Order: sequence, then structure tokens, then C-alpha cells
Amino acid sequence: MSGNAATASLSAKHAGKLRDPALFLSVAVIWVFLAVFILFPLVKILILTFEKDGQPSLAALLEILSRKSHYTAFWNSLLLGGLVGVAGTVLGFFFAFTAVRANLPKRWTAFLDLAIILPLISPPFTTAIAMIFSFGPRGLITYELLGMRGFNAYGLHTTLFAETVTYFPIAYLTLKAILAGIDPNVEDMAFSLGASRWRVFRTVTLPLTVPGLANSFLLLFAASLADFATPLILAGNSFPVLPTDAYLQITGLFDLKGGAVLSFVLLVPAFVVFVLQRFWVSRKTYVTITGKSGAQTEIKSVSPVVSRLLLAICILLSLLIVYFYVLLFYASIVMALGANHNLTLKHYRVVFTEGVKAIQDTLLIAGVGMFLGGVYGVVVGYLVGKKRFVSRAAMEVVSMVNYSLPGTIVGIAYLIAFNSPPLVITGTAAIIIAAYVFRYGATGIRTTVAILQQIDPSIEEASHSLGAGTVTTFRRITIPLILPGLFAGLGVVFIRSMTAISATIFLVSIHWTLITVRILEKMTELELGVAAAFSVLVVAVVLAGTSGIGLTLRRFRQPGAPSMSSILGG
Amino acid sequence: MQALRIYLEHISKTFIHGVKGRVTAVDDVVLDVFPGELLTLLGPSGCGKTTTLRMVAGFENPSRGRIFFGADDVTGLMVNQRNLGFVFQNYALFPHLSIFENVAYGLRVKKLPGPEINRAAGEVLRLVGLEGYEQQFPNQLSGGEQQRVALARAIVIRPQVLLFDEPLSNLDAKLRVRTRGEIRRLQKNLTITSIYVTHDQEEAMAISDRIAVMNQGRIIQIGTAEELYFRPRTQFVAKFIGKINTLPGRVLETVPDGFTLTVLGHSYRLSCPAPPKSASGETKVYVRPEMVQLTSELSSAHFQARIVERTFLGEKAEYELEAGGCSLWATAPTSAQQETFAVQQVVGVRLSAEHLLLLEEEVFA
Repeated sequence: MSGNAATASLSAKHAGKLRDPALFLSVAVIWVFLAVFILFPLVKILILTFEKDGQPSLAALLEILSRKSHYTAFWNSLLLGGLVGVAGTVLGFFFAFTAVRANLPKRWTAFLDLAIILPLISPPFTTAIAMIFSFGPRGLITYELLGMRGFNAYGLHTTLFAETVTYFPIAYLTLKAILAGIDPNVEDMAFSLGASRWRVFRTVTLPLTVPGLANSFLLLFAASLADFATPLILAGNSFPVLPTDAYLQITGLFDLKGGAVLSFVLLVPAFVVFVLQRFWVSRKTYVTITGKSGAQTEIKSVSPVVSRLLLAICILLSLLIVYFYVLLFYASIVMALGANHNLTLKHYRVVFTEGVKAIQDTLLIAGVGMFLGGVYGVVVGYLVGKKRFVSRAAMEVVSMVNYSLPGTIVGIAYLIAFNSPPLVITGTAAIIIAAYVFRYGATGIRTTVAILQQIDPSIEEASHSLGAGTVTTFRRITIPLILPGLFAGLGVVFIRSMTAISATIFLVSIHWTLITVRILEKMTELELGVAAAFSVLVVAVVLAGTSGIGLTLRRFRQPGAPSMSSILGG
Repeated sequence: MQALRIYLEHISKTFIHGVKGRVTAVDDVVLDVFPGELLTLLGPSGCGKTTTLRMVAGFENPSRGRIFFGADDVTGLMVNQRNLGFVFQNYALFPHLSIFENVAYGLRVKKLPGPEINRAAGEVLRLVGLEGYEQQFPNQLSGGEQQRVALARAIVIRPQVLLFDEPLSNLDAKLRVRTRGEIRRLQKNLTITSIYVTHDQEEAMAISDRIAVMNQGRIIQIGTAEELYFRPRTQFVAKFIGKINTLPGRVLETVPDGFTLTVLGHSYRLSCPAPPKSASGETKVYVRPEMVQLTSELSSAHFQARIVERTFLGEKAEYELEAGGCSLWATAPTSAQQETFAVQQVVGVRLSAEHLLLLEEEVFA
């Protein structure tokens, strides 16, 4: 009897596979893309690292590691990443705790949210530019205000500060979600058992947040590890880090192999972080969103005095961020910040004359990339989140790889992989678009999977029971429900296409260039006013783009669908 | 439309569980649902009732056996080819569609003309008392209203068969009673053959023509609520439907049209075949609490018992008693004529032979 049943279920499975040729086809197509644009470039890096004259060899790796400067750069990267991780997590927790637990008036929360969102939607070195304006040799604060001479604005301290300000919003968004998920009734319970506020915080709130803190540390560590623009501008010669090192190796010394080996060295800690996040942090999470809310309760965990203190500190820090952006804007409309403060539009004239090509290219690439990335995210997200097929789990992991790796690695890998046959697309727009789609489309995948997890299978069953076939159900039920995932994907690919540089700096050419690359060039040419004007333009375009997408998202928003800001979080 | 019969011909469902290995969720179930009848599958969670229902719907394929709607074998048909209405436990309303569009969905799938859709959807919404809600969205409705939309959506397509998967379990107690009345009224008026799944025995008794009690993938007994309550075939059925006392008994001797047995020192003569006699003659005897008569006249009693606990429940009172080392329950109406007893009071107990049950024990492989 059991033999019969086994045969029956086997044949049913077999029939199911044959019944869905569309599934088979789409899985195959996606795998081809993943193989070409994610696995193949990484394999190329490995080959270049571990091969000499056609033989497997550790020579290149050992040679690079034996050079003291690279060795120092490796440890500097880890040190910087660790410090940014700790500082950003502390700052993010501070803001998140204030926002969730301090009973803030609505308008203050809105102000904090705005200040926090600015670094998230800016080109990565806007903070760095503002830091130079403030603390550089002729800095507004060090030179003009404090009258300091010879203050060193370059090194670990300023890099750390700039990266912390740039990346702590990621920690804020991660921790805010976790803190908001802790039912205040749990804290009430501890109060009812006689615990003091401090004790409740120490024994209930903080322990429940620990997985979030670990996650936020890893996210920030990875972000810092990947950031090459901030150190390039602020770290100076005294504090070399790996991504910058790899960049200079390739663009300065035209040493592709050396760059590949360095990015492999960078790959190791990045991979450790990836594994820790996927298989350790995700298992340690206590807080789950049940959709069931406990009885409404007034938050009592913070005394009014502490609440006011927290708010004051957060507002001070937010004001600092806002100051940076105001300064950036100011620098873009004066002759030369620190020397000549006469108002002028000459920087913008440069932007809209010689910068037009970069603007056009960027908008075109962002436009095409956002469309393709959005569709890619929804398709892969739907397959991974809804369908059962062999290699599903592998597809989920592989599709996240480029997103999790530092952009420098992805950029170098693409440069190496697509420079020679079979697929030569170096120097085209296609390579930049592919880099964006397969790196940032991952956000759309995650959002789609998250949405699908919230859609009860019975909703699709209900459609079937009412006589609808698979196609009708997909068109009329599933697609409308995962639409927010599409918009999330569109939004993130758009923002990142406008602001990213770490991967694409290696991929631009005289035919296709990007605004962010122009900003960097202007920085190195010390045309800070023009760099500031470009940055202001990017922030303005991204703000306009995201509010547009945010509005559309709200129109299609289902209960429980993530909001725009939470999608940006990581 | 003529109501049709549903017939499950020896269906089984086995699947491979990650931890437990091969699990038989439904084991050789034969079920005949008469035309126009509402039959309930009743059982504890994990007994296979929902899996059975989902096989009737076509959400799952049976590992073995066939399913008939009328004369048609529907086993190989997809759910959307079976012309049925399914009401889900969590309602499963389409969150992005208005109430009207939710109800109209099945009609649009059938490509009915617009005026026809408006008429039919409007009529059904009126039938479930949701006129004026057409343009609202599911998340704006209360749980009870959402369940009525789910019901309207299922019946508007004029299904041959209606299937309910614990449709009331997310509603509060009062609403549950009211809604089950509405479901029953609609089902009778439309005379659609229906299968209803629940784990709530009271709900099953209130709503069904017949009940099939399931346990561990099998149907244990099928019958009307009265049959199951007064003539349960097995211990499981007796215990699952209502409350029942288990008392130690001993078979004394077999007589021409029955046998005699003693319970707590009093002997009773039962007119049914004796159970297969064990060596000692020991057996378990079952009796419903409301069949246990209490009296303060100890002389006329079969045996004596001490009141341990008294719980007042409004129209009746429940007594926990201790007699001869075993405990038993008795319920008595709290009407004016009725005697009441105090805790620790020693009372007389009378049982009548026709209320004593001897039941099979289920043996599961």
C-alpha cells in the first residue's frame, strides 16, 4: 500500500513539473542571467587571483599581501569598518529609541526622519565634501570660526566621522523597526513586577534589541568596507584602505590583476559578514510582526526629562546634518567658499554646459536601469517567494550576492569579465546598467518576497475556487498585490543609479559617464564649487524622483506593505 | 438547479513530512453526502478534516481514491473546473478589490455581461445584508461583515457544492451563533449540497443535517447530532461530543436478550449483546452527566456519593461527585422544583440501565 502511494505522489510531482513549462522556462532564463552577471565575474576574479601563467598559484596573492602598504590597508579597512559599525549603531539606536519610545510630537518625528533620509539619498561623498568645507585647511569651522591653523582634516578621525554620519541612517531604520516591533505591553509587564525604568531598559528592551544591534553593526561594517569615495577624499595618505587601494591600483597603475587580488582580499571579510547575517543574525531575531497588536498602552519607559534630553541631542545631530546640506548648497552658489563669498551661478553654468553629457547619460542609465531592475526584482522575487522548483534556495542566495558585496569588487569583477570575449560590453551603457540591475534589483526581490509572505495562499485559492485559472489569478490577484514590490525596486535602482559610484567608477568610459564620477573628478581638480553644484542637483533629482515613486506607492499600498524609507534601509 | 450528491470513494492522502516521515493525513475515507444536505466533518485539529475538504475542493489531489459530484468523476479536475464555492477560515478576501468587485470576481471570470453582474452581485449582497457596502474595501469591514462578503462571493456563482473551512473560528461567540444561523438559512434556501468543517461540536450540532466524526485520518461515525450524542459507537465519539462519565463495571452473566452488570455495587440489566468477555469481566461503563439522577433520599438510591464541587451555570448546575473511589459528574436543571445539594453533602445516585453505554475502544494502527 505504501508503495502505491509513493508511486502516486511521485507521478503527481512529475506531472506538476510538466504541467508548468512557463515556470521551467523562466527559471532557466533567470539562471542564465545570474550566471553571466553574478557568478561569471566573481569566478573571473578568483581565476585572476589564483592563477599565474595558466597554472594555479598563490604567488599573486602572496606578493600583494607581502607589500606593507596593502597589508596596512587591509587592517585599516577592518578597523574603520568596526569603528563605523559601533559608532553608527550607537547613534542609530539613539535616534531609533528616541523616535519610538520618547513620545515625540509628530512634527519632531517628521523633522528627524527628513534629516535622516538626506544622507541615504545623497551621493556617498556629499558629507565628505561638506566636511572639507567645514574642517579643511580653509574650513568654515576650523579656520574661520575657531581660527585654527593647520588642523588636519584628513585621516581616520574625519573619515570615521563622515562615514558614521553617512551610514547611521541604515542603523536607525533597522533598529526603529525592531524597537517598534517590541510590544510595549512587555515593558508594562516588567513595570508591573516592580522594575524601575532603567531596569526595564536594561533587562527587557535592550536584550530584545540585541539581534537588531548585531545586524545593524554588520550592515554598517559592510557599508564602510565598500565605501571608497569617502576615504578617497578624506583618508589621505596616512590612512590607506583597501577599496581606495584597489581603485588606485587599477586607475593609477593600470594593474588589473593587482586590483583583482586586492578586491579578493576585500571579498573575504565581506563574505564573512554575508554569512553571519544570513545564517546567524536571522535566526536570533525575537521580534516578529504578527499583525496582532496588544492592547494600546501609553509608553512609560522613558521619563519626561530623559525624553527631552534625548530629543535635544537628536535635534542637535540632525541640525548638523542639515547644516552640511545647507553648506553644500551655499558652496554651490558662491564664488569660492572660504575665500570669496560673492553669490554666483557660474558653478551651475558649468554643470549645465560641460556637465550636460553626464546628466543625460546618468538619467538615461537610471531610467532604463530602474525599469529593468524593477521587473527583474519582481520576477525573481515571485519565483523565489512563491514557486517550488529545484535550485530555488540557490537562486535566492545567488541573487543577493552582488548586493551584499562591496561595490568595488563588483565593479572590478565586471571590468575583468566583460573586457574580453565571449561578452565584450566594457565601455557601453549596458555594462553600467547591468551592474545596477543585478546589484540593486535585489531590493525589489526582497520586497516582493516579503509581500508574498504576507499574502495568504488562500487568497489565490479563493480565486481558483471562483473559476479563475492560473493566468487570470496571476493577472488579477497576484500582480496587483506585488505591485508595491515593483515600485520599491524601481525606486531603489533609480536612487542608486543616481548616487552610486563604487562599482561604476570602473565601468565609465568616454562614451558613457555619470554625474557621480564627474563630482569625484571635480573634487580632485579642486573645483569644489562645481562638485557642490553637481551634488545639489543629484539630491534634488533624487528627492523629486523618490517623492514621485512614494506617491505612486501610496496609491497602490496594501496594508502591511513596506514604506519607501524602510526599503532604503538596507 | 437540482442539488447533487457528493461521493468520496475510498480516498487517502499521504505526504512526506520533514520530521515525521510518511504521514497519512486521510486514511481510506468513504463519505456519501446526500443532495441538498449540509454535512459536517467534526474532529480535533490534525484529524484530516481540512485535508479531506481541500481534496473535495481540488486544492489537494488524493493519493488514492476518487471523488464524484453527482455522476461525474471530478478527481482529475482543477478546482476552477469544479463549480464550487469555498468559504475560507480567514475569509481570503481580495484586499485590493472593493466589496462589489470581490463579489463580482467569479462572475467576471465567467465573462457574464455587465448588467447581469450588477444584478447578481447586488442581489447576493442584499441577501447577506451588505447593501451599501459595495464601494468599501475589505480592511474597512468588521470580521463578521468580511465573513458575509466571503459567503456572498462563494454563492454568487451559483455553485453546485459549497465548502466551508472553519468559517466562524475568527468571530466572537455571539457573532458565531448568529452567523451560523445565517449560513444554515442560506444553505437551506439555496439547497446546495455542502460540506462544513469545524472542531466545535456545538457548532456542528447546530448547523448540520449529519455529522461525520473524524480522528486520525478516519471517519469514526456518521449520523445526526442525536444519534451521535445518544448512541455513540466509540469512546472517542462519546467523549468528543458532549461530556461523559467513565465508571468501572463488571459483567456478571449473559441472559437470553442481554446481560447483567454491576456498577459501584448496584446491578443493572442491559438488553443488548454483551461485550466480548474479558477474563475478569471488568469493563468500562459510560453515562452522560444529565442522566445521573441525584436524590437526598438515600434509601431509594443505587449507591451513595459525596458532593465535591458545585458549579452554578445559570439554567443548570454541575456537580462533581465522589463515589467508591471514582469521580463522576452530574448536571441538574436549576428549575424551582429541583432539589439543590451542598458541597460535602452525601447524596443518593440513581442510574437507569437504558442510559448506560458500553463502547468500543478505537485501535489505531
